[in-house]
Amino acid sequence: MTAVVRAEGLTKYYGRRRGLEDLTLDIRPGEIFGYLGPNGAGKTTTIRLLLDVIRPTRGHVRVLGADSREAAVRRRIGYLPGDLALEEREPGRAYLQFLGKVRGGVPAARIDALAERLDADLSVPMRKLSKGNRQKIGLIQAFMHEPEFLILDEPTGGLDPLVQQEFLAMVREVRTSGRTVLMSSHVLAEVEHVSDRVGIVRAGRLVAVENVAALREKAVRRVEFHFDAPVPREAFEHLPGVRDLRVAGASVRCTIDGRPDPLIKAAARFTVVHMVSAEPDLEEIFLTYYSGEDHDHDRQVSA
Amino acid sequence: MIAKCLRDWRRTLIWWTIGIGAFMALYLGTYQSIKQAPEIYGPAGLAKFPGALRDLMGGLEDFTSGTGYLQSVVYQLFVPFLFIVCAMVLAGRALAGPEEAGTLELIVTLPVDRRRLVLERFASIALGLLAVAAVTLLVTWAMAEAVGMGVGFDRILAAHLGVYLLALLFGTVTLAVGAATGRKAAASAVMGVWAVLGYMVVTIGRNVEAIAWLKWVSPFHYYAEGRPLYEGLPAGDYLVLAAATAVLALTAVLAFDRRDVGV
Repeated sequence: MTAVVRAEGLTKYYGRRRGLEDLTLDIRPGEIFGYLGPNGAGKTTTIRLLLDVIRPTRGHVRVLGADSREAAVRRRIGYLPGDLALEEREPGRAYLQFLGKVRGGVPAARIDALAERLDADLSVPMRKLSKGNRQKIGLIQAFMHEPEFLILDEPTGGLDPLVQQEFLAMVREVRTSGRTVLMSSHVLAEVEHVSDRVGIVRAGRLVAVENVAALREKAVRRVEFHFDAPVPREAFEHLPGVRDLRVAGASVRCTIDGRPDPLIKAAARFTVVHMVSAEPDLEEIFLTYYSGEDHDHDRQVSA
Repeated sequence: MIAKCLRDWRRTLIWWTIGIGAFMALYLGTYQSIKQAPEIYGPAGLAKFPGALRDLMGGLEDFTSGTGYLQSVVYQLFVPFLFIVCAMVLAGRALAGPEEAGTLELIVTLPVDRRRLVLERFASIALGLLAVAAVTLLVTWAMAEAVGMGVGFDRILAAHLGVYLLALLFGTVTLAVGAATGRKAAASAVMGVWAVLGYMVVTIGRNVEAIAWLKWVSPFHYYAEGRPLYEGLPAGDYLVLAAATAVLALTAVLAFDRRDVGV
């Protein structure tokens, strides 16, 4: 199978300012790829390179098997810009119809169905819409021609939680139909529930590409046990993966890396009255990648 | 794409048409009273105006003949500049304006070749200006007939075609600079400076030897030199204007095709 995106050594400098450095990445057909990084890390630069809005300084990229310079391939792409700017005076419907026509025709019924799903107002001039409602128009135009490849730059900005859920459902439907999504965010929580893989970009470099399931396995998890009687600290010491252990009377608090199995088995020897386990915090792993990179850097300097 | 541009610009186009049409109607309407005061507006009267002002207004030879009045009041300065500003406004909205506003980002990611996009924007400017020119031509002709100026339609058409070509040329200058830089202000500035200096060179500057040669790069030279109201269509001069426009449009295409948009 040909990769949906195949970037090799993709580099972009804006004058002397670095936008993206030496990106090599494959995005596979049918996957949802989360593209993560803080603001200014190079996410939007990457996306604009894929869409030929800007041109690489070095390296090259193929999208859907074609050179990114070929205009025709963009018919098969849906794109939501990070800084979405819409025509001010035009009502949403007219604008969507125009975009649909240029992309080879989109049935009006499909636009209406999407608008209803996201609760978007297509009848008023777009300058009168709030940020969230503009974002809905942006989402509709990205999804409406049922593209093979969706590129969504910070898609959830300004959306209220209900619409966010609906949006995530739409993304899952895209995956179900075998199509591909690239979705950028600076918050992992936004993409971790739908993404198959995440790429982490920092200061213009792709520092890691991880499978989300594997990432979750590595995640740091906070766990708290409450027992019916005080427990000895020794029973929980030196368990694999257990850190920051604090035993106070009948309660045990700690964090675990990876699988919780040894800890559960240790706790099972006592009577558990209450247990709290927080959702694995991928954000922390995310941050470890950043700090990890710093350590490498320090080591190089000291060596 | 072109239809969408023209639809977006329809308000602007309508207002410019009304504005220029009203200007024509107003000034041509006063021709009657001017014709009846040859002591002020005849050649002898006009000679009293300061020389520099006469130069700036293209000589101010005679207001009392229909042709002279039409040339001095309509086709010398005001109407060309109104058209040029109209062309600048449209051209600013074609590429550089949307780029600064950010709306161009979605447009360039449509399945439309960049070169085609620029050509379509150019065609939109050309058609929009053509609409304004066509309506105002009819207004001019109707007014000229109404006040008995005695200028044939073919002469008015020739002069009006010149205004159109001149405005399209300056509009294309704006488009090309906008396509190359992405900045509306820069595009308008380049066009404005070229237009004002170009006009000065062929009017005040024509007797100053040191700068007289600059007329060859002034579009106004090709616009005015053939005296279309007096002598009919100056085909050669107009071809120069059209050819320069084509070269500039091509420059716009090439400049935009190789650029990063929106950075």
